[in-house]
Amino acid sequence: MNELHKLVEEALPELDMMIGWAESSDPLRTTPVFINDVESISRLIWSPFCAQNLTGYLVKPPAPQPADKDKKIGICVKGCDSRSLVALIQEKFVARERLHIFGIACRGTVDWRRIMLQVPRSNVKSARVEDNFLLLEDTDGTHKLKLEDVLARKCLRCRYPNPVICDTMIGEPAVLRISPEDAYRDVEAVDQKSLEERLAFWQSDLDRCMRCYACRNACPLCVCQDQCIAETREPRWLTQRTGIREKFLFHMIHAMHLAGRCTECGECERVCPMEIPVTLIKEKLNKIISDKLGYTAGLDPNAVPPMLTFDPGETGV
Amino acid sequence: MAGKIFIALDRLRSTLDKLCSKIDLLAPASSQGNKTGPTAFMPYRSGVVPVLDRQTTLPLKKILLPQAETLLRYEYCKDPQDPLKAALSLDDRSEVRPTLVFGARPCDLKALSTFDRVFTSGPYKDPYYIERRKNTLFATLVCREADGACFCSSVGSGPADMEGSDFRITGIEGGFVVENLTEKAPDLFDSLGEAPTQDQQSEAGRIIEDVSQYRIGTLDLRGNEEAFRKRFEDNEYWQKMAAQCLSCGICTFVCPTCYCFTITDESDNLRGERLRSWDSCMFYHYTLEASGHNPRPTKLNRYRNRVGHKFSYIPEKYDGLLGCSGCGRCIRNCPVSIDIRQAAGQLKENVCDRQ
Repeated sequence: MNELHKLVEEALPELDMMIGWAESSDPLRTTPVFINDVESISRLIWSPFCAQNLTGYLVKPPAPQPADKDKKIGICVKGCDSRSLVALIQEKFVARERLHIFGIACRGTVDWRRIMLQVPRSNVKSARVEDNFLLLEDTDGTHKLKLEDVLARKCLRCRYPNPVICDTMIGEPAVLRISPEDAYRDVEAVDQKSLEERLAFWQSDLDRCMRCYACRNACPLCVCQDQCIAETREPRWLTQRTGIREKFLFHMIHAMHLAGRCTECGECERVCPMEIPVTLIKEKLNKIISDKLGYTAGLDPNAVPPMLTFDPGETGV
Repeated sequence: MAGKIFIALDRLRSTLDKLCSKIDLLAPASSQGNKTGPTAFMPYRSGVVPVLDRQTTLPLKKILLPQAETLLRYEYCKDPQDPLKAALSLDDRSEVRPTLVFGARPCDLKALSTFDRVFTSGPYKDPYYIERRKNTLFATLVCREADGACFCSSVGSGPADMEGSDFRITGIEGGFVVENLTEKAPDLFDSLGEAPTQDQQSEAGRIIEDVSQYRIGTLDLRGNEEAFRKRFEDNEYWQKMAAQCLSCGICTFVCPTCYCFTITDESDNLRGERLRSWDSCMFYHYTLEASGHNPRPTKLNRYRNRVGHKFSYIPEKYDGLLGCSGCGRCIRNCPVSIDIRQAAGQLKENVCDRQ
């Protein structure tokens, strides 16, 4: 923590604003924080509870407009978040030179809902991660949970725990939990099902969707935001009906607009109050893009995502 | 004793099986059919696993205010002699069946006291709501499952508050004591179980007594009408409270008290339906006007409105009643951990301590 504070303090004179994580009223979760003075630096934290991808704040309205054009915006990113930044830079939503990226080596973030499964009805007082365990203190005493049982699904399949782009690196590089070829095992498990089973799986899961649009709004690459065609009356793609047809169509719109762009940061799935594994849809599309076009999103700021260009010599499809 | 029964834990499901043959029954359950995953009030039938050990993920508001409700169906019939002419037929029939909600919580019912004021009093009475309300009974749990997000005592309720409930369910050793509280269906449970023993009754009484003393939430969020008005133009305050907001609809959709809706005609060629569906003041489109002007263009305007509606506008209009039941769902489910207790609790303070 002191390392983070020290490095941010050193960089602060060149920063207009710093985006990071701070403690929230819930020990299992953190909240984004926007700071621009030395006194507030002590509020910044880094822990396995810093699950949120902060890069969306750079592009979603109202996007920060620096008062001083020569100053940069500082932002904390984990490995997965850094890939979103790369995608935003590729698509020219943010300028690389305007950013000071504090890259954090990440050993995985915690999914509070998985904790609640193991310690239901818990009134959590404090929580911390030590080695491969989560130590949680509540009104019943101390619970010791295995880290792998409480990590987010995206972290269990993570291929990029270390930032792929950064100006200042924090922490020792993290090692992969899985071998990279296993990254799409969750999608493969769904693919193994019969067509009927898959239909039943998605019908049952998507039926819980309330169309609160949290998955869309949390997605750093869903940049249409207030102009999203899921909500516009002209053109009108979706009705206010609550049937599975509307829900399915919304999620397909969301996923198709991210094909080959999604960096699998898992925000859509993390924020879903109905616990729908919506990132799986994007993982499936990414796997197709990877198999057919050999492209992985969010690695090279100078690359052009395949769905954003046209190559007459394309051989993959 | 009439109007009071004991349901042993191992006979809960068989008792509900019998109950659901007498009346449409809704109980907290997971759509995944087990005890994990998000829960909501679902139609109970044999085989459903009731989840009574925690607050439901979704509130019971959709029972009285469905997410999308057909107000009427319409159809145009062209005149074969003159295709420019069409006769319009309307059908606004709706069927409401007597329903019992088993396993509600005091915060769920507290929210209904706000709904009742909005939909059943004043110049505009809502016949759709009134019909459902009249036909719905509530069996409410004495709540002993508060977590860090709960704050029902901060809004003038509490974990044993039975206002608006028709039956009280008290969990005791080995089962539940269910007792009738109103005249609406006093014998509904009578044939479903034995009367509680003297010991069971006194244990239930003790628990109710204890739980009535619990204070869930340290603040008192009432009486902020004036303070909110003074804060209205304090942009720095709202920036500090809601800069991280994603403008998603989670807080309003999981809120038992949020009732804002939109009305749309959804047509397929010559026929269609007029729907009333949940809207969310967190959405940009909620206040977007036909001219293109939007009086609440940013998330700060929208979040301020949410706090103002709940803690200032509603209490001003309805004798101090809040538009918040303290259930904590918006806090628990907010993807960026915005805590409405801070935004509402610091209205009166000179300085706020949240970035």
